[in-house]
Amino acid sequence: MSNWKKLVIEPLRKTNPVTVLVLGICSCLAVTAQLKPALVMGASVTVVTALSNLIISLLRKGIPNRIRIIVQLVVVATLVIMIDQFLKAFAYDVSKQLSVYVGLIITNCIIMGRLEAFALQNGPWESFLDGLGNGLGYSLILVIVAFFRELLGSGTLLGYQVIPQSFYEAGYQNNGLMILPPMALIVIGIVIWINNSKTETK
Amino acid sequence: MKKDINSNRYIFLYATILIIVVAVLLTVTALWLQPFQNRNEKNEKRIKILTAAGIPDINKHNAALLFEQHCTDQFLLDENGNPSDDGTLPLFVIDRQTSVIPMQGNGLWGPIWGYLAIAADGKTIVGVTFDHKSETPGLGGEITTEKFQSQFAGKPVRIPVEFDAITGATKTSNGVREMIDNTLRLYSPFLEKLKP
Repeated sequence: MSNWKKLVIEPLRKTNPVTVLVLGICSCLAVTAQLKPALVMGASVTVVTALSNLIISLLRKGIPNRIRIIVQLVVVATLVIMIDQFLKAFAYDVSKQLSVYVGLIITNCIIMGRLEAFALQNGPWESFLDGLGNGLGYSLILVIVAFFRELLGSGTLLGYQVIPQSFYEAGYQNNGLMILPPMALIVIGIVIWINNSKTETK
Repeated sequence: MKKDINSNRYIFLYATILIIVVAVLLTVTALWLQPFQNRNEKNEKRIKILTAAGIPDINKHNAALLFEQHCTDQFLLDENGNPSDDGTLPLFVIDRQTSVIPMQGNGLWGPIWGYLAIAADGKTIVGVTFDHKSETPGLGGEITTEKFQSQFAGKPVRIPVEFDAITGATKTSNGVREMIDNTLRLYSPFLEKLKP
């Protein structure tokens, strides 16, 4: 497998930041009650990880070792604020739903983790791909969890009703627990279980 | 001169330049996007006002047009309930009969606000809309849902206002009650005048 494929594909399953490294769980709990915010959160985190990886990698030879964490934080925070401003200007509904969480992107462990573990030692192109891969890996889990939570919790997907009205008339009820955070933890647990049982680990 | 990237001099210089670059970048973005953000906020406000007054099918595309059609008057009231240029209490009149008044209050984590629409006789609530900054999604955040807001339609105007609170969101529900009560107290001279 060529190098770039490895960098993008591996974090989807084999080294997935959520299910294998167990990073970024808190935001997984928060934004997965519905599919739409999960997609937006996933996209935002992917953009931020990829770009911050790229920028830090470009700067890596000039960053003084003693203030490297601060420099990383400044870069990530700037990117996040800019994305927030863009959402407020061009996707107002989405930004309203995400308002509480956008600030949380800064503290997302995946971003800092990739900066420390990868971008400081590798070239810009590889770092960009690594950020992209890890962001996508995170989004994948977010979308899987949100899919089940919205389907079972609200009977909708992306806001459209998918469980037919006749089911409700026959006595079917949405599971209110799916909307609350504990169920997100349980769903993530199941996803981690399935993923790890199917992945060969040495 | 060979630069030592771990010398104090270099660290100070690096940090200073980094901060200046970041500050300029953020300022430029904020100034550039401000008009778009203001337009969105203004639209949002119109949607909330019209929804409270019971106008159906409003979205961000037709909000400006519908607001133009339905909002027949808007003015400021003084504390005796009379229209006045230096009044402090804003009021929107929708279709010449419904009075929509803005509300502000505190939820559990941050500010909550909304609009209260009152019928022409000053005795009945036509509808409400709420919004919040940082209430918990699924608990306090539920105040923005149709399900919570629709229960207010048709209720009598009285202090304290009565409604079904949200389970698990007592503080936010109390905040909503206080917000409505306070607003009604402020506007009570005006509402008295509406009564036939």
